[in-house]
Amino acid sequence: MKTPKAHHENPGLSPATRSFGVALALASVVNGLLVVAKESSPAVQAGMQKLTGHHWITHSLIILGLFFVTGGILGRLNGGRGIRLSFGQLLGTVLSGVALGGLIIVGFYLVGD
Amino acid sequence: MSEVILMVHVLFGVGCLLATLWVLVDTLNASPKNLARIHAFSKVAAACMWVAFVVGGYWYVTFYKADKAVILKGPWPFAHNFFMETKEHLVILLLLLATYLPIAAAANLAASRDARRVVLAVAALMIGLALTAEGDGAIIAMGVKMGLLAR
Repeated sequence: MKTPKAHHENPGLSPATRSFGVALALASVVNGLLVVAKESSPAVQAGMQKLTGHHWITHSLIILGLFFVTGGILGRLNGGRGIRLSFGQLLGTVLSGVALGGLIIVGFYLVGD
Repeated sequence: MSEVILMVHVLFGVGCLLATLWVLVDTLNASPKNLARIHAFSKVAAACMWVAFVVGGYWYVTFYKADKAVILKGPWPFAHNFFMETKEHLVILLLLLATYLPIAAAANLAASRDARRVVLAVAALMIGLALTAEGDGAIIAMGVKMGLLAR
């Protein structure tokens, strides 16, 4: 029987790998959702345009900021050992996050725009 | 000047793709001998992607408006409405993955099968997205050409 530690703390995966992997998945999904939000709402797009002069620059900065901040915070959890995640959970999170983020973007411009 | 900037964008995009392919192949054969090379090439892939993103982003916000007008008046409006719109947001995903690659590749890949599998998955996603971005770029350029020919 696996102990909780053996299940959640894979010695081959560093705290940074686990933490920024989850941050990557989260930022990917938010990236897609932000596309839908700004393309569906002129007010949102105008607000993003106003912040930096171009909505795409604001969009990129939000997503990159989310990735670095979330990864940094998750990496500090559990006394600096990072978020607890097994290999399977990490891989599933990264693959599903990136796939979902990509599908939202492609799907929106294919049928929603 | 606009064309030079665009070619620099493409050049570094291809550089990212090739460096990532190198990481993928080396990771499939990971051993203590090639760990430093894998890590170095993962950093090269990330650096190339950041340059491609910043240069391409500068071109997009500064020069693309004229090309967009040509595309939308031409016979291939989908080159902007679908391919440019998806590309400009999918490359953010690619930038995130490229930034994550050196983090994942910093592990002892020779000793950990799980760490190797994470790097392989990230590299495979990057290669798929980079090829998509290259294809999108070709269709956008063709959209401009079709618009100019139709004048």
